[in-house]
Amino acid sequence: MLAKYILKTLWGHRGRTALTISGSMVAMFVFCIVGSIQEGLDRLTRSADADRHLIVFQENRFCPTSSRLPEDYARQIREVPGVRDVMPIQVWTNNCRASLDIVVFNGADPEQIRRSRPLVLTAGSWESFQTKHDAAIIGSNIAKRRQLQVGDQFSIGDVSVHIAGVFKSDVAAEENLIYTALSFLQYTEGLESAGLVTQFEVRVSVESNPDEVASEIDRQLRVGPVATKTRRKGAFQASTLSDLVDLIGFAHWLGYACVGLVLSLVATTTVMSVQDRIQEYAVLQTVGVRPFGCTRLVLTESVLLCLAGGAAGSLIAMVILSIAGFAIGAEGATIAFSPSLALFLKSVGVSVAVGIAAGIAPAIQAASVPIAQALQKE
Amino acid sequence: MALVELSHVSKRFTKGDETIVPLDDVCLAIEAGEFVSLMGPSGTGKSTLLNLVAGIDRPDSGQIIVAGTEITDLSRSRMADWRAQNLGYIFQTHNLIPVLTAYENVELPTLLLKLKASERRQRVELALEAVGLADRADHYPRQLSGGQEQRIGIARAIVSHPKVVVADEPTGSLDGQTSEQIQTLLQRLNQELGITLLMVTHDREVAGIAKRQLSLDQGRFRETNVRMQPNEIASR
Repeated sequence: MLAKYILKTLWGHRGRTALTISGSMVAMFVFCIVGSIQEGLDRLTRSADADRHLIVFQENRFCPTSSRLPEDYARQIREVPGVRDVMPIQVWTNNCRASLDIVVFNGADPEQIRRSRPLVLTAGSWESFQTKHDAAIIGSNIAKRRQLQVGDQFSIGDVSVHIAGVFKSDVAAEENLIYTALSFLQYTEGLESAGLVTQFEVRVSVESNPDEVASEIDRQLRVGPVATKTRRKGAFQASTLSDLVDLIGFAHWLGYACVGLVLSLVATTTVMSVQDRIQEYAVLQTVGVRPFGCTRLVLTESVLLCLAGGAAGSLIAMVILSIAGFAIGAEGATIAFSPSLALFLKSVGVSVAVGIAAGIAPAIQAASVPIAQALQKE
Repeated sequence: MALVELSHVSKRFTKGDETIVPLDDVCLAIEAGEFVSLMGPSGTGKSTLLNLVAGIDRPDSGQIIVAGTEITDLSRSRMADWRAQNLGYIFQTHNLIPVLTAYENVELPTLLLKLKASERRQRVELALEAVGLADRADHYPRQLSGGQEQRIGIARAIVSHPKVVVADEPTGSLDGQTSEQIQTLLQRLNQELGITLLMVTHDREVAGIAKRQLSLDQGRFRETNVRMQPNEIASR
């Protein structure tokens, strides 16, 4: 009966209900999008991968196009105590500035990519990638964004590749990358990178301290032709994306603003609803509904409004995030906006909490209505 | 012991600098099965007395015992439970819940009692039959006439088999013919079902349907046969 009464009440005022739900939906949609950017950054900078891997980059250089290290450094790095594996990578990007449609090529040894990267091919084959000189495997996000599939030829700037596979990865940012053979990028006309790489990715043994290994690498390479700066992968990416990190930090406030918006919207609707029906609550209490029963009615109504809008907005955000493959990047590093169950549940949880907060004051008003006075207002 | 006992009950309101005393040291006893009407001009405290008996208002002083329970000091929640089990309230303007059907409006008080679904359904159907509106069960209040709404309001008041039913100007918003139908219905409820009724009205003709008629003026019962002392209450 409680559910029937509430649903009939909401339906009885369907204009107001629809407006409130749609407002909550839009606000929680934005909340989820902002949350996915934040989550993407956290995943990028705080994952185990980010903690146990080092990036060796040219000292005082930021954009991948300006870091040019001798490929031969790999041999010296391998000899540093604590280093388990070294992967020379040539990076090419279409845009060093912040962009929503950044295309990043990582050229490395295909066998090493297959062995060290958490990639699962959803289309195409490793064999094709490993045997063809201009073959590339592309992340599922960029495939969605650029509408690419296996067999397509993809050209951008001086780089033109044949797509041999599409992959998914546990590391969302990987899904924004295009992998090619190292030699292909080094010898691409216009890049002039024969014998050079942009960076080295170093896997550190479990028992070693990554920071100490990083210092030792820089110390040993200091005598070489190009000085290096080695950092944990997470720190490297956070530094690379520092401008974006500030913006994302600011966008976090936008998420809070969305929650505030839903709170004020639903609170206004609930207050109006209770004031319009104050006699109804007096009648309910006259026939024997307890004051707490009225509190429950109002709270359930406001929670339902928030939950319906919040769940719908979050669901739409999740669907759009999973279809569109959004990513933002700068200087060769990308942040993936991925849908996640945790974010969806958080958004739904926030909606419920906001519903309760919005309903508390009107619920108390409905429960404590002076019955005789309210009935006299007829 | 009387079903309803008011002992030295007073109630006052303050409006700006003015103090209004609608009830001043009032005593009253109503026996089970009685049909009592309470008359008086507007503002004489009729509705205030009714609300005190119904437990939706509290006196400033005095004691009110209804169906063996002293309701004066009950908390709001316990008072609500007590009303659900012991009291039916007929409003002047029906006060049906607009989003619920006639059936659901009548069913509402029974949902607060521990009843089986079959018994609840039976009670609602009987109440609707008693007021002659079984065929309007699925109608919403907006689809009913004023008289039909009031009859649904009466069905809602009697469906939980309350010990006392109070009616606040039950014909006050109805035309002459509909008013007569409601009067007849109230008489039948009292005579055939033995329901104890306390009705407030300013209409002398409507008050005449009750077996016992009281009149309030300036906070006191004017008719000498109804202004009783506590020792008289005990003797009744």
